[in-house]
Amino acid sequence: MDNDFSKPQRESAFGIIIMGAHTMLKIGKASFFLFVIAFVKTPGTSFAYLISGISAIIVFSFIFAYLWYLKFTFFLDKEKQEFVVNKGIFNRDQVIIQLDKIQQVNINQNILQKIIGVYGLKIDTAGAHGEEVSIKAIDETAAYNLQAHLLNRKAVDRLQPEAIHENDLTEETPFLRISGFTLFKVGLTSNYGQSLALLAAFFYTVIYEGRQLLDAFKINRDEIQNTVTGMLTIVTVFILIACLLIVLLIINLVRTFYKYFELQISQHKDALLLSSGLIAKKNTLISPNKVQITKYSQNYFQKKMNMLNMSLRQAHFGQSKKGHEMQGNTLEIPGCNPIERDELLKMILAKAPLKGKTFVPDWRFLNLPIFFKLILPVAIFLILAFNIPEVKPFIGIAIAYFVAGALMIYISYRRHRISVSEDFIIKTSGIWDISNEIVVPNKIQAITTFQYPWHKGVDVGHLTLHTAAGQIHFKYGNYTEIKQLVNYWLYQVEHKNENWM
Amino acid sequence: MSSDTSFTNETVDLDHLPKYEEISLKQPHSSYWKIICINLVIFFVLLGIGAGSLLLFVDEIRPNAVWIVPLYFILAVIFFLLFRLSFKKRGYAVRTHDVIYKSGIIAESTTIVPLNRIQHIELNEGIFSRIFKLGSLQLFTAGGQSGHINISGIAIEEAKNIRDLLLKKLDLLENPTTETEA
Repeated sequence: MDNDFSKPQRESAFGIIIMGAHTMLKIGKASFFLFVIAFVKTPGTSFAYLISGISAIIVFSFIFAYLWYLKFTFFLDKEKQEFVVNKGIFNRDQVIIQLDKIQQVNINQNILQKIIGVYGLKIDTAGAHGEEVSIKAIDETAAYNLQAHLLNRKAVDRLQPEAIHENDLTEETPFLRISGFTLFKVGLTSNYGQSLALLAAFFYTVIYEGRQLLDAFKINRDEIQNTVTGMLTIVTVFILIACLLIVLLIINLVRTFYKYFELQISQHKDALLLSSGLIAKKNTLISPNKVQITKYSQNYFQKKMNMLNMSLRQAHFGQSKKGHEMQGNTLEIPGCNPIERDELLKMILAKAPLKGKTFVPDWRFLNLPIFFKLILPVAIFLILAFNIPEVKPFIGIAIAYFVAGALMIYISYRRHRISVSEDFIIKTSGIWDISNEIVVPNKIQAITTFQYPWHKGVDVGHLTLHTAAGQIHFKYGNYTEIKQLVNYWLYQVEHKNENWM
Repeated sequence: MSSDTSFTNETVDLDHLPKYEEISLKQPHSSYWKIICINLVIFFVLLGIGAGSLLLFVDEIRPNAVWIVPLYFILAVIFFLLFRLSFKKRGYAVRTHDVIYKSGIIAESTTIVPLNRIQHIELNEGIFSRIFKLGSLQLFTAGGQSGHINISGIAIEEAKNIRDLLLKKLDLLENPTTETEA
């Protein structure tokens, strides 16, 4: 492949294998349990049908992949500054991406791609769908060249394309490198929520599919239910919970290692290069001025270990985004220490953010959560407890809940702060994980203020800053101060016409 | 990024910045109230037909008429009052650099969109709006669903004027800034 991408070209021929395997995996995943059922239910004679069915899927996948390979071409339109992709087997699809709308370019490698020795390249824009273009097989130099071409449009204009060496990326010394030990600590202290969701999703599919299997095997469901409930005593429940917690921790560790193994960040021209991954290596190049919200968070354990998690949020539009797609637009950097954080912040925000004047919410912040999360449920519980004798022994739990809840709400009130300086807005919040979200005023898209009529007399109101990467809320502030801040931010956004992306 | 040569940095007097909260806002056109009424009446007629036919044809529900009928009328009154209230509270203003829109039934919320953050503008006319020569103007930003403004019930001529004005300003904003990025 030549270095210039100006002529339409196909991806590497290995793409057929990748795409074929990909399609096969997709079909296989969708029909896996169907196959298991078929395998169990059908007598030995129709085994041949099963084999022929599987081979039909394989053949179909590869024919599909071959056609897809033939029709998939891409090129770079230098004059219009556009990246054009033609694809589609039966219908012609043309995707045109303006280069300055590109947010990030990812170079990935999964196991199969690693074995064959090719890379996958994904282009992310701020459009409604997560990724617009995904090239499945491209060799290494071409991948990095294309990445450089796509992101350094100005450089492409000035220099001849040949001047970009493929070695540029490797020559840069990374200024941030997360070691294995740090990752271990990260895995122990953070992201429980995501692992829990993963575990829950796993159990859900197991139970759902298991039920179908049971139906297929014609096993009596009641029997199993009886044995399960018979096994449930207090002791086994505790053991079960302990096991689950350990499993959760292990999953968390594995996930952290899988995703962030050998995470390093280096500066490359005007962009930052992030690379990480254990088996599937992921390289992401982003330009700092496209980061909309910079966030770092830390919990008690992490504070003791002197480390924190950072995330860089980029623009995303549209409601259609599901959780995992949104993640694609959030770059997580776990386990950096304060020095590395400051360096990274300096790189993204041009200077280290200083906390300016800090605004504190009114004590009325406490009212609603205390009423809806504490008083109301506890009252309902108590009414139940006094009417149903079986529930009565558990009243102690209600008291514990009330005390713990009150403490948590109070902490969240104490942490809810917004600090405003000339160049930065820093919103602090959280109960356990205390996060700091940093926004530059010119990334503000719109501002909303609102007030309940009964708060007019006490001059309390709320503020929402809309950015392209989500909202920042500040609740129960002094409304006069909020209005003054809004006027100031409007002035900052409007008097100079800076680009927000 | 401004160039360093002619860079000045005067102190900004926070108290003398233009105050958004003191701008007198324009109310939606008075005919818009009629449209709201028509929509409400249609909604309640449909609801009434549904409830009525249930009461007439399903014997089990008939004894509940005692509270369903009064509830229906109470709901209707509450809805009309709430919408009247929200109609009274709506207001908009176009300034040189931003658009302000105030709305809310109970809580009063004000959204401000700077002109240089507007992504695109939409002008919608519904069937009833057309009869009364009204339109609604939508201003979209990159701030997602919550970050956009929908001003309904503006006289169509005025809405078109505002749209053209905004489009002109958007053009002016975009053209001189094409090559300023470093």
